[in-house]
Amino acid sequence: MGAGIDIGPVPRSSIPINPAFQWSVGNWMDYFYDGLKEGKIRGSKCPECGKVSLPPRMVCQHCFAKCEDWVELPETGTVESFTMAHVKVGANGELEDLPQPEIIVMVKHDGADTCVAARLEGQNASVGMKVKAVIDPEAENFVNMLAGYRPAE
Amino acid sequence: MEREVAIIAYAQTPYEADANASREMQVLQVAKAALEAVGLKQEDRYTVITANNDYLDGRTISNMRLVEPAAAWHKNESKVEMDGAYAAIYGLMRILSGDHDVALIIGESQASVYARWIPGIMMFDPTFDRQRWLLNEVSAAALQARAYMNAFGVSEEQIAGVAAKNLDNASRNPLAFNKLAGASSEKVLSSRKLYEPITELMVAPYCDGACALVLAAGEMAKKAEKPVWIKGVGFAHDSYLTERPLEEMTSLKMAAEKAYAMAGIKDPVSQVDLAEVHENFAHEELMGYEALGFCGRGEGGAFFDSGATKRDGKLPVNASGGAIGANVVCATGLARIIEAAIQIRGEAGERQIPGVKTAVATGQTGPCAQESVVFVLGGE
Ligand SMILES: [Zn+2]
Repeated sequence: MGAGIDIGPVPRSSIPINPAFQWSVGNWMDYFYDGLKEGKIRGSKCPECGKVSLPPRMVCQHCFAKCEDWVELPETGTVESFTMAHVKVGANGELEDLPQPEIIVMVKHDGADTCVAARLEGQNASVGMKVKAVIDPEAENFVNMLAGYRPAE
Repeated sequence: MEREVAIIAYAQTPYEADANASREMQVLQVAKAALEAVGLKQEDRYTVITANNDYLDGRTISNMRLVEPAAAWHKNESKVEMDGAYAAIYGLMRILSGDHDVALIIGESQASVYARWIPGIMMFDPTFDRQRWLLNEVSAAALQARAYMNAFGVSEEQIAGVAAKNLDNASRNPLAFNKLAGASSEKVLSSRKLYEPITELMVAPYCDGACALVLAAGEMAKKAEKPVWIKGVGFAHDSYLTERPLEEMTSLKMAAEKAYAMAGIKDPVSQVDLAEVHENFAHEELMGYEALGFCGRGEGGAFFDSGATKRDGKLPVNASGGAIGANVVCATGLARIIEAAIQIRGEAGERQIPGVKTAVATGQTGPCAQESVVFVLGGE
C-alpha cells in the first residue's frame, strides 16, 4: 500500500490465538432452559409495564426494572420476519453455501412482546404465518432445546 | 453550541485488502497527513481519540500500540470501541468542554486479518443467539430487510438499485474498494444469493484502511482554510434487534431529530445538499432516507425511484459509494463525515457534487443499526 515505506514483500505469518470463554447463562436463562427440559416455554415479565420477554430478559428496557415475574407461554406464535438462508458462516469466518437452503424466522410467541430467532421447518414462510414451537429436551447443546418452529396448520 | 467547532483537516488511506499494510502504517499515514495539513506537530497541544476494536485487532486494549502512529504519546488519548463517528462526537465534546482546542480523530481496522463474519456473530446474545449460529450480520440484516419490505411494499429491485447506485458512485472514488461503473440492479440481483433478499453486491464489503480528521475551535478554526463547521450532532441507542420493531431505524431517527434541532434543519430535503449514509446493507440506505426525514415513513423506495438520491438528484446520497464502496469497521461512519466535508470543501474530484453547502453524515454500530450517530455539517 502507499504508506511511503517500501520494505518489500513481507512473508505473511499467521499467529492463531483462541482465547476460551466460559459464559454463564445466568439465573434467568437457566430457569428458561430448565423449563424447556419439561417442555415449558417460560418468558420473563416486567412487574411494572407487564411486557413479556422471550427469551427472558433480566431488566426491562422501558422501566429500568428487574423482570422477576414469570409466565408460561403457549407453543404458538406468529412469523414477524424471515429469510431463506443459502449460506452459513463457516469456521473460517467466510460464508459457505448450504447444501439445501433453510429458513430462519423471527417469531413472536402469543403472549410475548419480543422475538425468537430460529429455524422454520420446510421451505415456505410468510410474514404473519402461524407457527408452533419444536422443543427438543434432548438437544445435544442445551441452547438448541427450543429447536425451531413448524407451520401451525 | 457553546463553541463553534470545525473540521479543518482530513485524511484517508485507500480502502483495500492487504494484511501486510499493518494498522500501524495505515494509522501513521492518515495521522501524519491530517496533522501536517494544518501544520500541527506532535509537541503541539491536541487531544486524540481513536476508534478501533479489541476483537478485530486480536488484542486487548487495541489502542495500546496505536499511541505512536496516532501521534498520541503523552496526550490524553482514549478510544471508542465503536464506529469512528462516535470518536468524532467524543472529540467534539472535549473541545466543547473548553479543555482542548484541537482533536485528532482516527478510525481503523483490517478485515484481512480477522475471520470476516465471526466478530459480528460475537455481537449476539451469548446465552442464546450466538451459540445457535443462525444470526450473523447478514442474516440479521436480511430479517430487517424482509420486515421493512413487508411493512411498506418495498421491492428487491429498489434495494438492488441502491447497491447499483453506490457501486457506480464508487467507480468515481479512487479510494473505494468495491466499484462497478454502470452497475445495474439486475447485476446486483444476480450476484450470489446469501440470505434472501440479500445478495452479495448488496453487502458493504469489509476491507482494510484508516481515516482521520482534525477538529478545532478557537484560533485554529479561525485561521483554517475552508473550515467545515459542525452545525449539529445527535446519537441514540436502541434495543437489541429481537426486542424492537425492525421495519424502521429508530436510533437513526432519534439521532437525526437531535442533530436537526441543533442545526436548525426543519425541511431536510430543501436544506440539505448531500448526505453520506452509513449503509452496511443496501436496504439500510432506503430506511435511512425515512429516518433522516428525506421522505415520509415507508416512502424510502419511492424516494429512491424519484432519482432524488442519484448524483444528479436533488439530494445525492453516498456520492462516495458509501459503505458499499468500502467498509472498514470503526472507520466507515467517520469516513462518511470526511466524505461530506470533502464535498463541502469542493475537493471530491471526479465524485464532486456541485454546490454542496450543507451535508448530513451518519454512522452506526451494532446489529441492524442498533446505535446511530448523525452529523450536520456546513461550509462558510
Ligand atoms: Zn417494564
